Amino acid sequence: MSDAPLPADQQNALVPVTVLTGFLGAGKTTLLNHILTAEHGRKYAVVINEYGELGVDNDLVVDADEEVFEMNNGCICCTVRGDLIRILGGLMKRRGKFDGIIIETTGLADPAPVAQTFFADEDVRAKTRLDAVVTVVDALNIQQTLKESPEAHQQIAFADVMILNKTDLVDEAKLKEVEDTLRTINAFAPIHRARKSDVKLTDVLDRGGFDLQRVLEHMPDFLENPAHHHEEDLSSVSLTVKTPLDAGKFQMWISALLQEKGADILRTKGILNFEGQPDRFAFQAVHMMADGNNIGPWKDDEPRESRLVFIGRNLNRPQLRRGLESCAVA
Amino acid sequence: MSQTLNLRGLIEKRGASRVIDGHITGCAASRDNQRFAFTTAEGDVIVAHRGDLTDAASWPTYAVHDGSALTIAPDTDPHGFLTGGDDGRLCRIDMHGEIEELGKTRRWVEHVISYVDPKNAYIAASSGKQVELRDATGRTVLKTLEHPSSVTGIVFDGKGKRIAASHYNGTSMWYTQSKSDSVRSLEWKGSHIGIAIHPQGEALITAMQDNDLHGWRLSDGHNIRMSGYPTKVRSMSFSSNGKWLATSGADVVVMWPFFGGGPMGKPPTELPGAGGALCTSVAFHPQQEVVAAGFADGTVLLIETPTQRVLPVSLGGNGPVSALAYSADGCMLGFGTEEGLIGLVDLAAA
Repeated sequence: MSDAPLPADQQNALVPVTVLTGFLGAGKTTLLNHILTAEHGRKYAVVINEYGELGVDNDLVVDADEEVFEMNNGCICCTVRGDLIRILGGLMKRRGKFDGIIIETTGLADPAPVAQTFFADEDVRAKTRLDAVVTVVDALNIQQTLKESPEAHQQIAFADVMILNKTDLVDEAKLKEVEDTLRTINAFAPIHRARKSDVKLTDVLDRGGFDLQRVLEHMPDFLENPAHHHEEDLSSVSLTVKTPLDAGKFQMWISALLQEKGADILRTKGILNFEGQPDRFAFQAVHMMADGNNIGPWKDDEPRESRLVFIGRNLNRPQLRRGLESCAVA
Repeated sequence: MSQTLNLRGLIEKRGASRVIDGHITGCAASRDNQRFAFTTAEGDVIVAHRGDLTDAASWPTYAVHDGSALTIAPDTDPHGFLTGGDDGRLCRIDMHGEIEELGKTRRWVEHVISYVDPKNAYIAASSGKQVELRDATGRTVLKTLEHPSSVTGIVFDGKGKRIAASHYNGTSMWYTQSKSDSVRSLEWKGSHIGIAIHPQGEALITAMQDNDLHGWRLSDGHNIRMSGYPTKVRSMSFSSNGKWLATSGADVVVMWPFFGGGPMGKPPTELPGAGGALCTSVAFHPQQEVVAAGFADGTVLLIETPTQRVLPVSLGGNGPVSALAYSADGCMLGFGTEEGLIGLVDLAAA
């Protein structure tokens, strides 16, 4: 389902959109206000949900309704945020007024429809790019929340960046334990510790493909021996192939895989080394909706290998590995 | 701020243009055909008087909305306009340029339409899930129509008896005069993003998020599906005789036949395009079989539908055409682009 990739320069002209998720009371609005009031010389348009409990002080604030729509393209998990399509379309008519867009979701929201909106709608795709899903986690309460709420699992699985907030309320041992819990669900998103959402802005904004690359470069090896967990739980799988991949074979394999297992595979991301291509290819998918683009040439000192990660349920690691390896050029 | 474009076509001899600050979101003529107005994403309304049609620098600008002006329609009176905006305000701008706030909601006002015949006149505006039906003055809300999700388009039928709204999973039709608020729901799964009604009331058509059109034959509710577009259809316009529905969304103007059993089982007619640029706006002439079409490269054409003869209105423009409208007498055609170009041509016989 992925269209022709956008050239790199066109990709850069797209307005970056940051999505803030996190359970009720985790500190999303505090983080939002922290971003907006910091001295960065940038202007952000902010999309907030109507149940936001704290005020947001910004010139350009739009209320969202969180209207989740199903697409008519035959895949059951393909939902988008209808209101966001309208809001982003409206904002892009006033392109000169801001440098980026921040979307705050309600605490109970599943991030999938928000993320899928950036794949599914042609106008949103043409003018904006999903920079990162930033998930704010309350260090004190998250383990309890995870027991009670499937949405909290989804929010962590979808994160490109996790902010472990309220670290002053728990001790170091507990923090380690929480980090391990987060890692079993999402092994790839960097975790930044914070007290009152006081993170470095560079940790949450303008992450883009750079982040994906950095994360994949520093992919921890412990993933190769994942701790046992229940099948219905969310987990991560990472794969590396040193032989260059055949772009056509990869496209066929990943399309078929996502078509069949897309309901269980929440996110797929990778930096791929296609045979005969000077550029690295960044691939990403949300459930069944995939997208990709060239992100510039390989550096001299980096290994030319393909890395692909999956976050989801019922991930069969040997099967995924065999599938990816079958895409290598003969 | 002004920038000169070397436009070619009818606009050279019979019109004028100007580049202003802001994406053009809509345009319309007043009912007396004496004024033509454009709305911008900066909240401004630019009003051209027919007497000054060729003097674009003289067209005054009014700051009406805080945030984008989203929609414009002719007022029920002969001279003015109605606009709605991101600021939740429904406004009237009269012949003197006086601005009157008719309504204010917490939500954006995305669509406003008006209807006038010798006996009845209405104004309707959509805001979020609600449509407010107002009297001719716009100062009294006759009824508030509630919908299951955000309203994406509204339309009066040709006689002002019914109003229809598109939304997620279908459309809702309401009687304007009925005391009861009974609704006719026409359902079809998916996100409907725009609406048009056949001028003689034979069919109701919606554009869908999934790059096709859906329709209902109003006599029996029979579903109609019209597909094959490479992009979303943003603009639809019926010919006044009801024979054709012209649509944007492809690299040519696609016209569906509403005669001889069509559009069911009939292929659409493809009118000429603008060298591969996507058609972004269409507007049928209010009386004749001539359709105006705007394209993604800024081109505006007139196409005579029976002969497919093409008359260029404006070539060499900038940005996708985002607004296009005739005056009711068919003598003025105005257009605007995403890059702030506004143009107006006089089509009256010299």
